[in-house]
Amino acid sequence: MTAFFDMGGYAAYVWPAYALTLTVVVLNVVWAREALKRSRKEALRRLTMGGSES
Amino acid sequence: MAWTWFHRFASPPHVYRVAGRLTPWLAWPAAALIVAGLIGGLVLAPPDYQQGDGYRILYVHAPSAWMSLMVYTTMAVAAGIGLIWRMKVAHAVAASCAPIGASFTLAALVTGSLWGAPMWGTYWQWDPRLTSELILLFLYLGYMGLRSAFDDVQRADRVSAVLAVVGIVNVPIIHYSVIWWNSLHQAPSVMRLGEPTMPPSMLVPLLMMLLGFTLLFGALLMVRVRGEVLSRERTASWIREALRP
Repeated sequence: MTAFFDMGGYAAYVWPAYALTLTVVVLNVVWAREALKRSRKEALRRLTMGGSES
Repeated sequence: MAWTWFHRFASPPHVYRVAGRLTPWLAWPAAALIVAGLIGGLVLAPPDYQQGDGYRILYVHAPSAWMSLMVYTTMAVAAGIGLIWRMKVAHAVAASCAPIGASFTLAALVTGSLWGAPMWGTYWQWDPRLTSELILLFLYLGYMGLRSAFDDVQRADRVSAVLAVVGIVNVPIIHYSVIWWNSLHQAPSVMRLGEPTMPPSMLVPLLMMLLGFTLLFGALLMVRVRGEVLSRERTASWIREALRP
């Protein structure tokens, strides 16, 4: 197990690379969902405020 | 026939609905493939005979780099379609691509740098491949900056689309940079003519990661496109329909 975490001496490079990439993956999922939620809220506001134009 | 399909595809309510239905079908296989690819790449694949375990950065670096190019190509094609046919949905696709592409370009650059440090003895080098990938990041950031400079979505769509389309010249430059110029970066070992230069135990996890990231892009795009389509829409009836839980 220690050998696994040691990555043959490359731990200082391998783990940050994996951590960064997985962070980017997770952030993308969070950001995308938030963007949709924001648009839905915004659209709802337009509906209730502006009535029904066009 | 083809035109009916094209028009349906251009209809925002239709896109909103289909994108919503497609999302789980892309997201779950993506998650499964990425988890399997990580286990394969970190645990099951043997160490490299030259780079030992250091080469395992490949399993996050190559998919990120692939993502950076695939997303840009999608963005430029969508922007081009939006410009030519004045299609709102196409512009919504292009706008959705940029933040995804920018973040994975950054991941490709940083993981590459972390790989270069022990193998090349340097974190950065003004090398053709590295420089052209950095330009890709600036293209994404420029595209997003340009968009945010306009209050009017339609104008932002049109102006930023021109930048996206022009910037596509950088994509083949990145891909062929390692062949055209003398580069520190290695030549392609998977996306090349003929056999890949890797044993299956190393190759299969990589292919899983590449496919997993591709499906992840699909899922992220579906979620973002729904938001972008909604924000471009002023027709009350279908918004009411779309927002119904």
